Amino acid sequence: MEIAEKQALRRIAIIGNPNVGKSSIFNQLTGLNQKIGNYPGMTVDKMVGQARIGSHSFELIDLPGTYSLYPKSEDEIIAHKVLNGQGVDKPDAALVVLDACNLERSLLLGTQVIDLGIPMAFIVNMKDLAEKRGLTIHSFALYQTLGVPLVMTDARNNQGMDAVRELLLKGNFEAGKPFHQMGFTDLLREVKAEFDFATDYQAFQQLIFAGFDPVLPATKKEWLERKAAEYGFDGLEQQTRETEQRLGKIKSLLSTAQSSVTRSPGKWQASLDAVFMHPVWGYLTFLLIMLLIFQAIFAWAETPMDLIDGTFAALSGWVAEVLPPGVFTDLLSEGIITGIGGVVIFIPQIALLFGFLAFLEDTGYFSRVVFLTDRLMRPFGLHGKSVVPLISGMACAIPGIMATRNISNTKERLITILVTPWMSCSARLPVYIILIGLTVPDSTWLGINLQALALLVMYLFGTLFTLLGALALKYVLRTKERSFLMTDLPIYRMPRWQTVLLTMYNKSKIFVLEAGKVILTISIVLWVLASYGPSGQMETLNAQKEEALAAASEEQKHELASEFASKKLEASYIGLLGKAIEPALRPLGYDWKIGIALLTSFAAREVFVATVATIYSVGEDVEDELTIREKLDKQVHADTGEKVFTRATGFSLMVFYALAMQCMSTVAVVYRETKSWKWPLIQTIGMTIVAYLGALVTYQLFA
Amino acid sequence: MTTGIPMTAADLRTDLSYEIVSIANTPLLVRMMEMGILPGKQIRLFKKAPFKGPMAFLIDGNIIALRIEEAALIQLKEV
Repeated sequence: MEIAEKQALRRIAIIGNPNVGKSSIFNQLTGLNQKIGNYPGMTVDKMVGQARIGSHSFELIDLPGTYSLYPKSEDEIIAHKVLNGQGVDKPDAALVVLDACNLERSLLLGTQVIDLGIPMAFIVNMKDLAEKRGLTIHSFALYQTLGVPLVMTDARNNQGMDAVRELLLKGNFEAGKPFHQMGFTDLLREVKAEFDFATDYQAFQQLIFAGFDPVLPATKKEWLERKAAEYGFDGLEQQTRETEQRLGKIKSLLSTAQSSVTRSPGKWQASLDAVFMHPVWGYLTFLLIMLLIFQAIFAWAETPMDLIDGTFAALSGWVAEVLPPGVFTDLLSEGIITGIGGVVIFIPQIALLFGFLAFLEDTGYFSRVVFLTDRLMRPFGLHGKSVVPLISGMACAIPGIMATRNISNTKERLITILVTPWMSCSARLPVYIILIGLTVPDSTWLGINLQALALLVMYLFGTLFTLLGALALKYVLRTKERSFLMTDLPIYRMPRWQTVLLTMYNKSKIFVLEAGKVILTISIVLWVLASYGPSGQMETLNAQKEEALAAASEEQKHELASEFASKKLEASYIGLLGKAIEPALRPLGYDWKIGIALLTSFAAREVFVATVATIYSVGEDVEDELTIREKLDKQVHADTGEKVFTRATGFSLMVFYALAMQCMSTVAVVYRETKSWKWPLIQTIGMTIVAYLGALVTYQLFA
Repeated sequence: MTTGIPMTAADLRTDLSYEIVSIANTPLLVRMMEMGILPGKQIRLFKKAPFKGPMAFLIDGNIIALRIEEAALIQLKEV
């Protein structure tokens, strides 16, 4: 009977301090059976995994890493809500992961969970390190005092994991002995009754979290605030008192439950830091590492990206051939398949970048980068943690923005998200190359190739605007949150392939499943706008094309096809829109054809090249940059006979592409990361205005 | 450094060990305590970032990085 009851425990929350190996335990137990979801009203992801042990299945909730259950960021609010079963299904038990080398710190959180009254067990992880440091943990003494079952593990080396599985299987969880006395008996009794809580500490926490929970109904919030005032309960003061008392009790408990010989990290650890944290070598090593990562991304991402591109193009062509011609076939082959291809194409870059980032994170190196760069970033309203997202943005803004997750200050994270698209990403490269080829002479000045210099200037221009933008936002955005840096620099460890591969897989999955929907929708809308026009026009053109093709010789057919492609784009809704906005674009030096390219390349910047090739009927061979360049160089304005791609127009276009959003995937990712349409819209509109003004100034300067 | 002026962690120059006496009562106090920065603990300067950047301290065998403003909240005495 008792066994049957215990086996009914199925949903288990895992909680622990940062860097205690909580994720590696979660990964070991669940493997690839992980799901990413949402907490209502929150931006932090919900990580849930299925663990199959024998014939039983468990649902594990991986809570964000926290040092305590005090309301500091969404992480703690989520932990509070999950452990008290508010807004989510209450877990049947909690697994608290403790750091064997830092029991004092870990038990602050551990004893808080005890006082919530939930059945629980401790996993004391990194026992290997504790042994190395000469630390002995008397686990039975701990169990006796706290009343919580305890398992020792070294999750990195897969030691003790069988004991964890057995613990889950047997349902060997116990509610610990109440640890902390908090007073305020009458107040807590009232809160307990109001919220239907079982323990005093749940009520105590509810009082403290009242002002921080974004989804707590206003009436409940007011009620709690009134009661707190009535009894003279000051949240901050109580937290300090609670922490002092808990740590005091933990200290005396540990004086009997552990014995230590030495506590310092090893010699080789310090010698690594002598390089990585050095005022000169530290920065140089960091630059070198980032350079190597970029080299690798450019070298390794190209082949799979070409492969994806080719596969989807072939698939699209195959569908168009096999299915009967019609609207549905067009939608499928040109709209949907091409749209999905446009999502999948980002996977190599995202997976590779996150592979490297996870690798560096897992070694413990990244917190050193935060240490080194914080001072450089602060004048711009950014944090040391903004550096990795920004630099990643030079490959692609999407993984960069997805990497802003660990910036805990809301304002600093938002600024980083908003300015990252100004870093010069790889999709701008084809646009720059075409335009530089058209407008900058291929000659040398003081031994420097002018075209190469122009490209470098564009990269610096992007970086400059990123920093200026951050600086401006620093004064515009308001926050009550105080910016601070308080971070553990964990010891260096060998990275684990499992963690790296899982991160690559999970980040790609998040992108495809969540941002993918938005990207697919926008790309279908863009396709419809570019393929259809007001009634009659397209049909007339199609009929003309058939007629012309029938009369044409084999050699002329090619030319005719590209001529009609250009005419059709001109007659489409997007073509009409391009013409409609021409008056606004004239001061930038653009004609309506460039206007159309600006509109279509909102899908992605590199689309500019393909659209320009179509609209100027370059022909089908758009792969050949030289052909496009030669054709474009010959274009003249119909009315004045002047060259279209003058130096002023070319520079103005480059500035526009450096500053405009022009990437629906970035919009989708910003939506996904901020969980609202407010910021991506503000960002897109703001970037477009800045791009317009920048291009205007550039054209007027050079014209 | 027996100057009579109370010394904070922001003043640490050498890698000698000091003892934490108290931590100023600001909203950061709880955060510091939960990371193991507590009165009675030994603290030692580990590394400093250039241009008055963050400082890294050794406390209880852990390396903890703080900005100078935060380090200035920690009062020390000689051991």
